Amino acid sequence: MSVAQRENELQKWYLPGILGGLGITMKHMVKNLLNKKKMITLNYPEEKYEYSPRFKGNHVLTVKKDGSLRCTACMLCATNCPAECISITASEHEDPTVEKYPIKYEIDILRCVFCGYCEEACPVDAVRMGPEWQTPGLSGANFKYNIEHLAYRPQLKGGIQSVLDDEERHKAGI
Amino acid sequence: MPKCTINGKEIEVKEGTTIIEAMYSNDQKIAHYCWHPGLSVAGVCRLCMCEIEGNPRLQIACNTVITEGMKVNNTSEKVRDAAKWGLDFHLINHPLDCPICDQAGECGLQDQYMEFGKYDPEMAERKQKKHKVVDLGPTVVLDSERCILCSRCVRFTDEVTKTSELGIFNRGDKSEIGTHDGKPLDNKYSLNTVDICPVGALTSKDFRFRQRVWYLKDQETVCNGCSTGCNVKAYFNKEGFYRVKPQHNAEVNGYWMCDEGRDVYKYVNREARWLKAQKRTSAGWEEMLPGAAAKDASSVVKANASGTALVLTGQYSSEEYESVLKTFTQELGTKKVFHWVNNSSSFDSFDGLLLRGDRNPNTKGLLTAMEKFGLPASKWADLEAGLANGSITTVVVAGPENQVWFPEMKQVIQTLSKAKNLIWMQTGKNAELESLSGNVWLIPMKSYVEKDGTFVNYKGLAQKFKKVTTVVSEALNLSEAAQLLAGQNLMIKPETSVLVETARPADRVMQEHRKKNEFVMKRGTL
Amino acid sequence: MSETKLLSEHYDKDEFIGLAGYKKHGGYEVLAKALKMQPQQIIDEVKASGLRGRGGAGFSTGTKWSFLPKNNEPRYLLCNADEGEPGTFKDRLMMERAPHQLIEGMIISSFAIGSKKSYIYVRGEYHYPIAVLEKAIREAYDAGLLGKNILGSGFDHDMDVYSGAGAYICGEETGMISSLEGLKGQPKLKPPFPAVQGYLRKPTIVNNVETLAAVVPIIKDGAAAYRKFGTEKSAGTKFFSLSGNVNKPGNYEVPLAYPMKDMIYKLGGGIRNGKKLKAVIPGGSSAPVLTAEEAEKVLLDYESIAAAGSMLGSGAIIVLDDSQCMVDCLANLTHFYHHESCGQCTPCREGTGWVDKIVHSILSGRGRLQDIDLLLKVADNMKGRTICALSDAAALPVISFVTKFRDEFEYYVREGRSKVKGTVLYAEMHH
Repeated sequence: MSVAQRENELQKWYLPGILGGLGITMKHMVKNLLNKKKMITLNYPEEKYEYSPRFKGNHVLTVKKDGSLRCTACMLCATNCPAECISITASEHEDPTVEKYPIKYEIDILRCVFCGYCEEACPVDAVRMGPEWQTPGLSGANFKYNIEHLAYRPQLKGGIQSVLDDEERHKAGI
Repeated sequence: MPKCTINGKEIEVKEGTTIIEAMYSNDQKIAHYCWHPGLSVAGVCRLCMCEIEGNPRLQIACNTVITEGMKVNNTSEKVRDAAKWGLDFHLINHPLDCPICDQAGECGLQDQYMEFGKYDPEMAERKQKKHKVVDLGPTVVLDSERCILCSRCVRFTDEVTKTSELGIFNRGDKSEIGTHDGKPLDNKYSLNTVDICPVGALTSKDFRFRQRVWYLKDQETVCNGCSTGCNVKAYFNKEGFYRVKPQHNAEVNGYWMCDEGRDVYKYVNREARWLKAQKRTSAGWEEMLPGAAAKDASSVVKANASGTALVLTGQYSSEEYESVLKTFTQELGTKKVFHWVNNSSSFDSFDGLLLRGDRNPNTKGLLTAMEKFGLPASKWADLEAGLANGSITTVVVAGPENQVWFPEMKQVIQTLSKAKNLIWMQTGKNAELESLSGNVWLIPMKSYVEKDGTFVNYKGLAQKFKKVTTVVSEALNLSEAAQLLAGQNLMIKPETSVLVETARPADRVMQEHRKKNEFVMKRGTL
Repeated sequence: MSETKLLSEHYDKDEFIGLAGYKKHGGYEVLAKALKMQPQQIIDEVKASGLRGRGGAGFSTGTKWSFLPKNNEPRYLLCNADEGEPGTFKDRLMMERAPHQLIEGMIISSFAIGSKKSYIYVRGEYHYPIAVLEKAIREAYDAGLLGKNILGSGFDHDMDVYSGAGAYICGEETGMISSLEGLKGQPKLKPPFPAVQGYLRKPTIVNNVETLAAVVPIIKDGAAAYRKFGTEKSAGTKFFSLSGNVNKPGNYEVPLAYPMKDMIYKLGGGIRNGKKLKAVIPGGSSAPVLTAEEAEKVLLDYESIAAAGSMLGSGAIIVLDDSQCMVDCLANLTHFYHHESCGQCTPCREGTGWVDKIVHSILSGRGRLQDIDLLLKVADNMKGRTICALSDAAALPVISFVTKFRDEFEYYVREGRSKVKGTVLYAEMHH
């Protein structure tokens, strides 16, 4: 890095710049003290920023009306995933009208690049990218999200229902 | 030998050849579902339409025999239109549930629609509802909605197994495949129906939902389930093997293979295998690397070479037999080589189609090799006597890969454990062996998918096979183990094995691409 | 012009059903004459008479017989009495009123082609004709007309009645052979043709009831006498089953090339309730429909009807008056073919269902304008693409109804109700 040095000793103090900068800081400090609501910064983690609901954050597995998973274990999301972070194990369902369902659905969120291809690949609106973006954890294992976390974590309040239900699709002959 | 012109190309065919056969052997494209070269002609899918000069009506290629001077064309607008609509008729009542269908990726409907389809579906009415998840028998599940009623499976049970379990019930668009009252689809070849099903209507209970087919790689090899030596394709990925399918070879297995042969892949996966060698001394079990264990065991072999017996099963390749016999007879100088004949009560049986009672891929190769080294056909009783009178102190066993077909395994272990030193080489886990006391070395071996070699089948046909992949990387093959047991060091030799020659040009191209590590888009074959 | 009763001369007499009555009217005299002839002579005589198959296809009977391989292989004669074509009821009358005429014709034909065994395949719903035939066959056996050494000629012949189980497709000759063999009644792939490999893989001839019965007068009076009726290419007399909106429906035996107009207005007594003629289906439900103008001009023989764009078929004339909604009529037919497709070939299995669903959706008022063209496209692609002719039979009425009465279909789609009847004719689909 090269910085142009001033010749004059006094000029080397850069006083006008420093004072100007301090002035702005003071101005904002006073402003913020007088009007806390207009403050630009947040006191994270006590305060959190509200992103748009369309923010592509942590994944959510949607559920049907009865609370069971919508996912049919077709593995299109896993096939489409460029980071190869989704792993699914399918199994036979007791109900003959349901072809198969996932007994394991894991997303390695540390590998995930949040590209949203899984959401786009899903033919049944079973996986969505939710608005959550904070993913703290104390060990590596905490970043492997399983079905319990993806579909039924407390923040989701019992799971997110997709609008079109299988029974309706079945009746409509889709 | 009639001559004919197909799409402007003049070809000469054998008497009685149908148009579709001629087209296939000349690399011409033609849509079809119901025709299968191993089955009779049904002529019901009506897709293989072609135009024959002088005939105003389109004819089906599968039931039209070529006559002298016939001019056939299947690229005209009229024929293309017929194929387009034929495919659309197939699809109007098809559920189009490709994402959850196991056949997706190797489906005849997908492939042929991409090639010949109309791309403009006009069906706006409700689809016909049929039965889903019909349990046809112990191995196969049926989804009637996906079925296109090509009747291949029905013809297979009628013509090949002659068990006739399947039939088509009801008529019109309510037709469904089904089994006759109380008689499930339960024969030794039932899973071939899954292979020949061009759609996802018949699925194998074993493979169902376990993998999407596009995650699997495949490689041709020879089945080691019995002495027939069916040509097969093994499907695998980095997690292991998932299934085995037959590969056409007119001389050996035709288009089929038995259900028992399809289970062979289970014995090569890691969960069934010894991953490390184990050595037992008075101090207890000790885990070792396989090579180290073999080298370690060489001390007892060399200490009393003439008191060392070699027990061989017919489960190894001819090259391995040659090498192990050379080492033992010429370098160690023992003539005590015994052939372990498994399931001896039904050893010579044959079910009339493919499956033989000799459940070893290479009994013939073993016997030939023993003869070559001037070894007499030793009796099992001699081994037992030798163990009893103390003339045999060390036994080296080349154990079985597919233990399920060695029902007498337990007794043999009991007999052989009388030896002072037992060196047991085998691929798979065995609780009996792991609970032995005395001086025991358990050395993991390579399974047939992890090595190159040759199997000689029951009629003396030598079939080369190529390594598919590595499952247990430290495992030894029999040649390596023999060298180590003789106290030598392993020499890394340049690769001299021959590639498996494949009949189909398409597969040769695939192999070339694989070698160069290039990605190739490949269609499934119907 | 009135009827020409060549075969049906004595059908009005009850005694004609029994053997004694039949013999009284000259029965089995022709058989005695035929057994003294050479088989080839009989085949030549039938060929010369110009007799054509009365079941629907109209193929020359003598020619069909001469397709049989000239060897000593056992061969079979099958009588097709599976009269399934909607609108046809002539075979039933013949079996009920003159069973011995059929049996005599069959013995003569069997002698001509050298068959030692024949079957009469009767449709399952014909309980009474089956009983009549069985009784007649018993009588014939008792009188030595069937069995070993018939009338001292040294010719042995056995005959059986086989009852179908009510499938239209079993009226197709190879479908019938499958059914007779105990298999599912599905047509077989041709080649091989039945004359080479048919019933039990032996050479087989399949003929309609009327065809076999017509052999009797041909042998009796000779080919020339038979040729006095009809035209050069369509010789002889034929039964026509007249049904629909006419005053006097029924079976009429007339010489071929009889005018359709006379059939409807003279023999049939005109249109019922003073209505006007709208359309005629001339040869059973599979035949393309003719409009009133076309029908009034046409003559009832194979060539004239073909020239008018339809076919003579089995001779079932269905008359429709102007109170009939053509969409409704077509829905009736498509439902029949949907129900009766055997399900073997894809274009027919799926096409019949598709067409039926489209017609019913139009009928329930949910139709779209493009559905009318779609009907034509689907029907066109069902035609000539399958093993047997059922697919063609299902497609031809669709094409003719839609092209000839397109305005009614368009009206129904646009207004959501019938142009003729003014209401919706079908509430909801029952699928």
